Amino acid sequence: MKPDLLRIGDYELRSRFLIGTGLFPNPYVQMEAIKASEAEVLTFAIRRINLESSADDSILQHVEEGKHIFLPNTSGASTADEAVRIARLARASGLSDWIKVEISANERTLMPDPIETLKATEILVKEGFTVLPYTSDDPVICKRLEEAGAAAVMPGAAPIGTGLGILNAYNLGLIVEEAHVPIIVDAGLGSASDVAQAMELGVSGVLMNTPVAKARDPVMMATAMKLAIQAGRQSYLAGRIARKQYASASSGFDEFILK
Amino acid sequence: MSQNIIIIGGGIIGLSCAYELRMRGFDVTVLEARRCGGQASGAAAGMLAPFSENTEGPDAFFRLCQFSLLLYPEWQEQIRSISGVHFEYANTGSLHIAYHAADLLSLEGRRLWQRQYGSSGEIVSGAELFRMEPALSRDVLAALYTPEESHIYAPDFIRALEQACRISGVLIKEELGSIRLVEWDRHIAVSAADGTVFYGDRLVASTGAWAQELSEQLGLPIPVYPIRGQICAYRTETQPPVKHMVFFNQGYLVAKANGTMVCGASEDVAGYDTSVTERGIERLRNWNNKVLPFLEGQLPFHSWAGLRPATQDGYPLIGPVEGAERVLMAAGHYRNGILLSPVTAKFIADFIENRCVPSEVREMFSPSRFANAWI
Repeated sequence: MKPDLLRIGDYELRSRFLIGTGLFPNPYVQMEAIKASEAEVLTFAIRRINLESSADDSILQHVEEGKHIFLPNTSGASTADEAVRIARLARASGLSDWIKVEISANERTLMPDPIETLKATEILVKEGFTVLPYTSDDPVICKRLEEAGAAAVMPGAAPIGTGLGILNAYNLGLIVEEAHVPIIVDAGLGSASDVAQAMELGVSGVLMNTPVAKARDPVMMATAMKLAIQAGRQSYLAGRIARKQYASASSGFDEFILK
Repeated sequence: MSQNIIIIGGGIIGLSCAYELRMRGFDVTVLEARRCGGQASGAAAGMLAPFSENTEGPDAFFRLCQFSLLLYPEWQEQIRSISGVHFEYANTGSLHIAYHAADLLSLEGRRLWQRQYGSSGEIVSGAELFRMEPALSRDVLAALYTPEESHIYAPDFIRALEQACRISGVLIKEELGSIRLVEWDRHIAVSAADGTVFYGDRLVASTGAWAQELSEQLGLPIPVYPIRGQICAYRTETQPPVKHMVFFNQGYLVAKANGTMVCGASEDVAGYDTSVTERGIERLRNWNNKVLPFLEGQLPFHSWAGLRPATQDGYPLIGPVEGAERVLMAAGHYRNGILLSPVTAKFIADFIENRCVPSEVREMFSPSRFANAWI
């Protein structure tokens, strides 16, 4: 059987878990949780790190070199121009040419600004970045981002850090149906069941930070999330049964009745 | 009938609990394997900065930190007057600096929620910022100014606290070597390396980065790990004064009254190793130059390291152990032991006196919270 790989840009990933490095209680727990997640892609806010010397950075110094693909994000940007500028800084530092476009206009909700996100995606794609925009769960904007050349599109399940789970499963389903690039649910998930639900809707992967980092046992939660991704993915691929209104016996004894 | 309290660990937390319990009329003995204040407490920069240390939101930990900050003025005044030992306690306020426009959104988000929780913080930039703190690099774009934050000179404060304990009648036993909990069911018995046994009614374990040692004896997971913090200090007598604590996304700088500038701190996973590494200090130096250009080319005259007691969920362990009610934990304060010492002492004493402790404290900081029911 051929392995079920996630293809983003030029990369083939075994893990469908993209993990954020922020908010962990300390570097020991952070390192152990990242290890337990088996995630290959790590994301972090560019503004939070020391770009001039990333090996000295207070977060990145704890990450084993060469083991991960870095997905720096533009969090803090409130316009396309700012996001583009931040992305260029990250690439110039040699960290990565992957970029998660994250543009929020409102510091309370941190809801993504889809218009600015689309603009930034168009520019960065032209500049040769592998662009993964974080956006709202709107099927039309997700399609537009794909058409703009996004390597994957990352709709939020709920606002960042809320742990509310999937607020609009119908929209996510539509987004997946329409997509020709990977759809990765980014933000708002809270627990393993949320993750499994997302994967069962057919998304290609999940990006998380808060639900792992702020769990009572972040390392165990990283493992739980990894397993939920696998379970949800296999459940999706295996094909669930149809929903029926009434019970039907699973033992099927009718045909054994002697006439 | 007065209870006899044994405290293991003579760091800031153990001594603060000892002092508070003594003030409430208990007989208190502090048992210290080596010397009081010899580990993380004496190594700390003494930042009393709940707003700068908690940037995400007003969770239970933030509220604990903030409550402790409010206790500090009176607490330190008591320690000062009883001990007669001088220490620096400076209400300087802090500046959390930002270099990029992209940082402004998060500074503003922080300002918004922190103003609802006792900060009168404001964003300052440009000429106003450089008037407040002329030595700052001109690359700094803006800063969140939090007037409520203070700092204390930890090594002197610990000495004062130890002295206040002794004067008020706390028995302090140092250099005990390996300290073992022998009995905790009907009474408390603790043995020292030389075989001396100390008896009491209740035990407070304030063993910092070594808290996990009690795990096996109590049959309780105590996920506390040492995280090394490397820190260094410059002589800055000849430099323009830096009036505020300066925080940035890689560390902090604080000018002490003795003419030194303390800069911290790394967070290294290095077991119980307290050595200073060249790379660790080099890393601090590299940032410092970008914050205060006058430090360019200067060498720290002193560098040291301490072991922060980090917990699995980032919250300290404060309160009685379920199923071993004579034992209380006061450990795992990670980056905020100095700040959290008065509030920890207060709640530990409240627990021992069976006074009302807020349910949030009992739940969020319970030492038993990591014991899952394995069925």
